[in-house]
Amino acid sequence: MREIASWMRRTGPMGDIVLGTRCRLARNLAGIPFPEAATREQLREVLTKTAAAVAELEALGTFTYREMATMDALEREILVEEHLISPSHMQNPAHKAVILNAEHNISIMVNEEDHLRIQVLKPGLQLNEAWERATEVDDLLEQHLDFAFDLQTGYLTACPTNVGTALRASVMFHLPALQRVKKVQEVLGAVSKFGLTVRGLYGEGSDAWGNVYQLSNQITLGQSEDETIEHLARFTAQILYSEQQAREYLLEQERRLTTEDWLYRSYGILQNARMITSQEAMELLSDLKLGVDLGVIEHGDPDLLKQLMVQIRSAHLQSIMGQPLPVQERDRLRASLIRETLQKQITKGE
Amino acid sequence: MLCDKCGKQEATVKFVQIENNKKTELHLCRDCAHGYPGFSTGFDLQHLLSSLFQSVGLGQAVAPTVTMKTCPTCGRSIADIQKTGRLGCGSCYEAFREELNPVLRRLHGSGNHTGKVPARAFPKVRTARQMEELRRRLEECVRLEKYEEAAKYRDELRLLEKQLAGGEA
Ligand SMILES: [Zn+2]
Ligand SMILES: [Zn+2]
Repeated sequence: MREIASWMRRTGPMGDIVLGTRCRLARNLAGIPFPEAATREQLREVLTKTAAAVAELEALGTFTYREMATMDALEREILVEEHLISPSHMQNPAHKAVILNAEHNISIMVNEEDHLRIQVLKPGLQLNEAWERATEVDDLLEQHLDFAFDLQTGYLTACPTNVGTALRASVMFHLPALQRVKKVQEVLGAVSKFGLTVRGLYGEGSDAWGNVYQLSNQITLGQSEDETIEHLARFTAQILYSEQQAREYLLEQERRLTTEDWLYRSYGILQNARMITSQEAMELLSDLKLGVDLGVIEHGDPDLLKQLMVQIRSAHLQSIMGQPLPVQERDRLRASLIRETLQKQITKGE
Repeated sequence: MLCDKCGKQEATVKFVQIENNKKTELHLCRDCAHGYPGFSTGFDLQHLLSSLFQSVGLGQAVAPTVTMKTCPTCGRSIADIQKTGRLGCGSCYEAFREELNPVLRRLHGSGNHTGKVPARAFPKVRTARQMEELRRRLEECVRLEKYEEAAKYRDELRLLEKQLAGGEA
């Protein structure tokens, strides 16, 4: 079986509340129109030049260059589910490529909205580490490639919302307690006033399944990358604090039993369901993770729980089963995968 | 206006959906917008971007020379950019700087890049920017009385100063 991307395989620092951290840098090759405006020949030129630059990355490990058109639909979808490529990169594979390292925590999309989208993904809260690695990748590629850049406007990008540092840093939070006490909007609602934005688990337009929210910077011009990271880190600390407060509140004596009852019921459904949609599974797994993180539910392995959150997605499920499956079959197999995994953990924990 | 879905909270998000060439508009509160399956901020972003360009005065009396101006590298006009909210290439930024600057200031609150500079293309500027960043951190550390950390930044600064003077960078 294929291994899950390393950042989703393990929990990291502050892993009870932060699932992962991502830093993304947009870069374009000088003198070639951005992908949307480029001809086929120009897109091909970007692919060729980028493929030739992969060798520069040697110092950071083994990287593989793959053109999207050479992958089947399932393979592409798996990369989306692990956040290694964007949904739009999967949908129109022509003249697009992805460069991945062996651990699958560095990915470079070629010919997405910009010529290059360098992404570094880390488990838990690791903003500085993710940024440092991303800028390293950028420096290595720049030894070989001429990037579209001017001193006044910075790195030039297809969308004016990214121009400047072209850095998008994101923290992926799991906020079940704030959701439970109905304070998510209060805590996250104000961030847009501070140049930050909140999205669901799978980026733009996706719902906050399983109480997972992504907090990212919106401003890329007029502040340095370090300032962006610091700013995001400051808000992250605030959100962490609020979620911790909400968790303590849920465990206060007069509502502890209600909390335990709620979490154990969710656990019970996961242990017994015969059919389950990915949305319901995400919601219940969110409860179970909270139960484990609060110490309410005893559990063998928090890493396995994190892995389940991606294994239950349709492409992963079909890949585990080794074949494409109709939706009803998926719901059945998803339920049985969850039951088996939880059973294993109980035995492991004993 | 109250939310079209729950009818309880104030609607803050306008959601436009186009299905079978029929346009439907929904006014949703923040909670409902978040849970709405087709809710796409991507769609709104494009509209927001083109509206930003429009308010620059392009919709009004525009001199014909301005509308005719195209980017020498990709051939896009400001009207093309306004329609999609996207630029065609790096040269567009130079070609339409005048039109873009107010848009960038509206989006980011600034029109000037203060971040990273590519090392091979602009070695000296890069070093100068790194020094600026170190100075900023140094001041911050002094202000917070973190003298040990401040000393570390001071050493790094001296090293870069030497590099810059020696012409190595
Ligand atoms: Zn509503
Ligand atoms: Zn252009």
